[in-house]
Amino acid sequence: MKHATRIVLLLVTGVTIAVAAQESKSKPPSAADWTALAKLPDLTGVWEAPTVGRGGRGPAAGPPPVPQLTPAYAAKKRELDARNLDDTEAANCLPTGMPAIMGHPYPYEFLLTPGKVTIVSEAYMQVRHIYTDGRPLSADPDPTFNGTSIGRWDRDTLVVETIGFSPLTTIARSTPHSDKMRIVERFRLTGPDTMSIETTVTDPEALTTPWTTTRTLARHREWTIREYICEENNRNFLDAQGKAGVKLALPAKEE
Amino acid sequence: MSRIARATGRALLVTAMVCGAATLAWSHHAAAPVFDMNAEKTVRGVVKQVDWTNPHIWIWLDVQNASAQVETWGFEGMSPNFLARRGWTRTSLLPGMRITVTFRPLRDGKAGGMFMTGKLEDGKVLTSAGAE
Repeated sequence: MKHATRIVLLLVTGVTIAVAAQESKSKPPSAADWTALAKLPDLTGVWEAPTVGRGGRGPAAGPPPVPQLTPAYAAKKRELDARNLDDTEAANCLPTGMPAIMGHPYPYEFLLTPGKVTIVSEAYMQVRHIYTDGRPLSADPDPTFNGTSIGRWDRDTLVVETIGFSPLTTIARSTPHSDKMRIVERFRLTGPDTMSIETTVTDPEALTTPWTTTRTLARHREWTIREYICEENNRNFLDAQGKAGVKLALPAKEE
Repeated sequence: MSRIARATGRALLVTAMVCGAATLAWSHHAAAPVFDMNAEKTVRGVVKQVDWTNPHIWIWLDVQNASAQVETWGFEGMSPNFLARRGWTRTSLLPGMRITVTFRPLRDGKAGGMFMTGKLEDGKVLTSAGAE
């Protein structure tokens, strides 16, 4: 009986703490919360990796580092490579998920609001929700394409931790991850309109060492994010046998 | 450097720039499995229709073949999002315009390919990296 009472008490306490946490999360932002944003490094605006279209690809870089796989995951990669897939499901309009979503040749808009950083990816019209209100990372989130993220400010750097990835996403091409993959990104202004993103992927089952890459984005104050509906007129495809093709037929309806 | 060498150098640079842009901007699908990226062909025709759509624009061109029959060719370009930020508009190419298109041909031999450049009658050139 005593034991049961203790369990009930523990449950009640647990529920009370959970409710309190929930309330603090849903507390409306105060004027001070909005004012505090102005003191943070200004990551807001539309950003894109430089392309030749803008007059240069940026400083020459060596070949990007390759993820170092454990024997079990190297075997999985060999199996996938042996299938000789022409392309990925992105050709069928499936969004890439993390970490590939941050490597597109399309812009990103960064929004800072009290307790949250939102990244809008133009490619595939994806949104990343990064909570900076001090909440802990969920212990066991449902797996999703972009994962579950929290962020914190380490002086001038926004540090974002993300876990919980769908098995339909990969670390890199033909490189699956385990359910223990974790991604840490460090976003930092390196000039008035340049930002560096250092991305480190760890996965104790798939990777022997952390895989770190760095990308530089340039801010375009004059740009806005455009619509990107991949299914609007997607003529590319990857079939069940892994062969890529193009549907070449003039649409019946003329513009 | 001779004039020819300079001109060749310039042409190579432009080609490299266009290829670079194509590689960067083709994240939606891999180009090499469907287009022969080592080949470049040219065809002249009349614009029939332009699909200013994602994930790629499509330019449909009426081309007269050797037996004087009109065949419609299809060319995949970059996305309107990419191009609109680099000098193109949805009216840069309009039905009825005569253009010369250079392209990477489809590997299956069908009438079409990846759009590289389009030269208009007034000399204006539209490229996959932007409008000149």
